[in-house]
Amino acid sequence: MGDYKTETGAQLFARLEARRCLIDIEPHLFPKNCGPQYGEVVELHGLEGTGKTELLYHLLCRCILPVEAGGMGVEVVFVDTDYSLDMLRLVTILENRLAAGRSSSSPQAESDAGCSEEAALRTCLSRLLVVHCGSSSQLLLTLHYLETSLSSRPGLSLLLIDSISAFYWLDRCGGGESAARQEDKLTKCSELLSRLLRDYRITVFATSHAIRRNYRNIATSSSSSSSSPSCSEYEQPYLCRPWQRLVTHRLLCSRGTPGTNMATACTEEQSRRQAFNVRCVSFSSSSSSSKVTKAHKSSSFYVTDGGVVFV
Amino acid sequence: MMKSINNGCSERRHVPWAGRKHCPRFACCQHYHSQIPLLFTVEDLVASDSEELAQKCSLSYKALLAIRRVLLAQHTAFPVSGADLYEELLSSTAIVSTSIPSLDKLLDSGLYTGEITELSGGPGTGKSQMEALQRIRVFRVFDIFSLLGCLHTIRCGGPQQASLGAGSVKAVIVDSVSAIISPTLGGKQNEGMSLMMQVAGALKTIAKDFNVAVLVTNHVTRGAGGELQAGLGLTWSHVPRTRLLLERSRGPGPLLGSTRTATLVKSSRQPCHIKAQFDLNWGSGSEEGLPGRKRARDSSDS
Repeated sequence: MGDYKTETGAQLFARLEARRCLIDIEPHLFPKNCGPQYGEVVELHGLEGTGKTELLYHLLCRCILPVEAGGMGVEVVFVDTDYSLDMLRLVTILENRLAAGRSSSSPQAESDAGCSEEAALRTCLSRLLVVHCGSSSQLLLTLHYLETSLSSRPGLSLLLIDSISAFYWLDRCGGGESAARQEDKLTKCSELLSRLLRDYRITVFATSHAIRRNYRNIATSSSSSSSSPSCSEYEQPYLCRPWQRLVTHRLLCSRGTPGTNMATACTEEQSRRQAFNVRCVSFSSSSSSSKVTKAHKSSSFYVTDGGVVFV
Repeated sequence: MMKSINNGCSERRHVPWAGRKHCPRFACCQHYHSQIPLLFTVEDLVASDSEELAQKCSLSYKALLAIRRVLLAQHTAFPVSGADLYEELLSSTAIVSTSIPSLDKLLDSGLYTGEITELSGGPGTGKSQMEALQRIRVFRVFDIFSLLGCLHTIRCGGPQQASLGAGSVKAVIVDSVSAIISPTLGGKQNEGMSLMMQVAGALKTIAKDFNVAVLVTNHVTRGAGGELQAGLGLTWSHVPRTRLLLERSRGPGPLLGSTRTATLVKSSRQPCHIKAQFDLNWGSGSEEGLPGRKRARDSSDS
């Protein structure tokens, strides 16, 4: 690549204009003052059915809802690699939150409630851009294409990728015997992402599925944590090194035992619901080969019609 | 590809820019490319710096930018606004009933189009009976490559061509996906897993693009704690949107031979682990097919 890059004045302003920082996106999840800053990457990792997608919808709604309804009013790009975006579920959560925001703020504006509900929902959804990718080559080319969207939309602060590990087995088989060739596509995606993060100051959230059981950890973890003994077996990161170097926060999701860890359950109904645990590990931003843990925090939540509710 | 550029060919349209896989001149250009490793694939061109490239070959900077734009237009997926996507879903999503009311309640009124639903259970738990029996077109496949070929045909031709007559296809059933995939797993790990994910990708694309409900059946295994769980392992567990586990009913009272219990194991719409009981004799006929048979069926709307 050249040492300098030419850009127009409009591109320069779009790049440097302050995009919304997402450090306060969810104080329950991240350690104090350790939320995701500009240019940071959060990885949600866990088994099937541990609430990763629900958490993603929760963070997504927090971004696209208007400020009056408890959101931030920023634009989001959702890169869907395994057709797992459930728009109907997302709209249910949005409607519930808009209704809650409306009832708490202005109880007298009920006359035009009907049409403004539709309009509010439409405004929220218009802040969301959805892209479907079918292979890692397409993901790479789409990220190149998104660069033009980033320069033309200064309100775009968040890139959500669900999930970054969708093409893992396809790439491994396609790369033949050489490990470098197997990881080539995801390495290129990671390098491109790091350039976009640096140049445009956005934040990236990505989910990755836990597919590997780490048998070495079983013996040591059986004596440690009692609430979720199988949690550390599936935590091992398996994606390529350039991606692991990019990640600054790791949210490890697991299922809690229903009823036992709801010590503060207010109603009986709450104690019967399935609880999910999240452990956040934040790394220091010095990108060396070994990551140093800066802070960590554990939290729990359960799922209602209106989305995630933290305990 | 590079040959035509260096000859100063100005007709960009005639250059086969379809990427490495589709380049008809790939095989003969490979030797040429290895001598001058400037560009090899679509991704390399898009990733490269156009100014630097313009200095190295005989194309102008503007021409390179135009080529880059055309390539991106051909190969990337375009972003769609959430509002438009929601409108489209509202008008096109349908729900296919399983014809068993207690199961329909469990599934939040039935099988949703655009999604994969999985039914897992041991032999004799009534998996094969779930499927709507009227107007089924059966494709018999016995290994994973035939399945991939069959799914590819459906994708290319559209389910309309594959259906019997005037009805529009609303569901695709793969019975059973585990019987085809399990023999490829283990051994050479990479290839089996990759084939499994290709099947998953093909099924999802069919479900989304043609608005059909995809139903797959799976076998069961015992987990680490001895509990019953669906087969095919962790990687497959992320693929279906909704999963049901079927087993023979147990409990006090007379054990009715035909009663089964279904547990909702994974769902984005209902709380998990709710159960429903149903009777196998509700539908018509007895269970058909040998346990070793693998079938892919298209079923049309009644």
